[in-house]
Amino acid sequence: MGTHAVISPLIELGEEAAVRCHEVSFKMKKKMILDQVSFEIPKGSITGLLGPNGAGKSSLLRMIAGLSSQDSGTVQVFGQPAGEKMLGKLSLLPDRGSLPGWLTAEQWLSFAAGIYPDWNEQSAKQLIERLKINLDTSISAMSRGEEARLQLLTCLSRTAPLIILDEPFTGVDLISREQIASTVVAEMGDGERTFLIATHDIREMEMLFDRLVLIGDGQIKSVEDVEQLRQHGKSVESCYREVFA
Amino acid sequence: MKDEPMLLPEDFVVNPSRPIYEQFVEQITARIVRGLLPTGLRLPSVRDFAAGRRVNPTTAARTYQELERMGLIVTYRGQGTFVTNEEAMILEARKVMAKEAVQQFKEMAISLGLSVQEMIELAEQEE
Repeated sequence: MGTHAVISPLIELGEEAAVRCHEVSFKMKKKMILDQVSFEIPKGSITGLLGPNGAGKSSLLRMIAGLSSQDSGTVQVFGQPAGEKMLGKLSLLPDRGSLPGWLTAEQWLSFAAGIYPDWNEQSAKQLIERLKINLDTSISAMSRGEEARLQLLTCLSRTAPLIILDEPFTGVDLISREQIASTVVAEMGDGERTFLIATHDIREMEMLFDRLVLIGDGQIKSVEDVEQLRQHGKSVESCYREVFA
Repeated sequence: MKDEPMLLPEDFVVNPSRPIYEQFVEQITARIVRGLLPTGLRLPSVRDFAAGRRVNPTTAARTYQELERMGLIVTYRGQGTFVTNEEAMILEARKVMAKEAVQQFKEMAISLGLSVQEMIELAEQEE
């Protein structure tokens, strides 16, 4: 009896999608940004959200993160409507986001530890080593790669089960890109976490993705299982070309 | 850990248009058969292997499952995963690889309209 009470909610959660969008539409100044977007992301996957500039990726991610709302349709995170209440369940690395330059990495991290209720100091410590963050460096003096690594560290030091990374590689050097990709894999935590990653850097990330959501002109062009693609002799890159070229 | 042999050749480049785990299985099998990965060698955890190669954890897990199914690696609960100590398994894997290679060779010969013997003779002809 006791066991049942503990296990059954977990089983129900396991059957839920981490993210579910159903016929989501969104207009901005009469321009259709998202048009009837529907897709699902299973729990424990690393999904790539791919598409050309202006496809609507960032708008979609902001909606999933609860930072903006759709005109119609539903966006669910772990079975609940996306929005403020779900902020604690997800960790977002925003596109072109920047950290307060007047702080050192250490000051920033102690600030972050204070604002996020799900901050895990243990993880933060491990990630400082893994991502080779120099705590004494002030953020304004960091290279783009270093700042991107610090942003990722901030994102992953929380225990939130959904991680959304919007273009984590923009302007980031090769070694930092490799460190970021490797950290994402290490932080999967046996499928307890779900990653949704928008990127143009297909080559760096294609080995990581198990699922692709291809979006163009505000519409879902295709949703692919990456293993299936490879079984049919296709790569993530060739699939992208087929859809968008 | 640093002095231990690498699971995959350092310069190994993955073909992104084929299942990654298949390519890993081929490479690791060859290295076990050649003795580059000696019997009893402890393998990295699935998570470390995946992070090291920057591949999806499922790819790493499938690689281990397949090698385990072939009897080339063994997992002991709580201790880790090791290259098998059973020589017979390794000899068997070697035989399978040889057979596959010969099969490919034969197919190539057929596609060129040659017998296996003719193909070897042609290749070894002096200029």
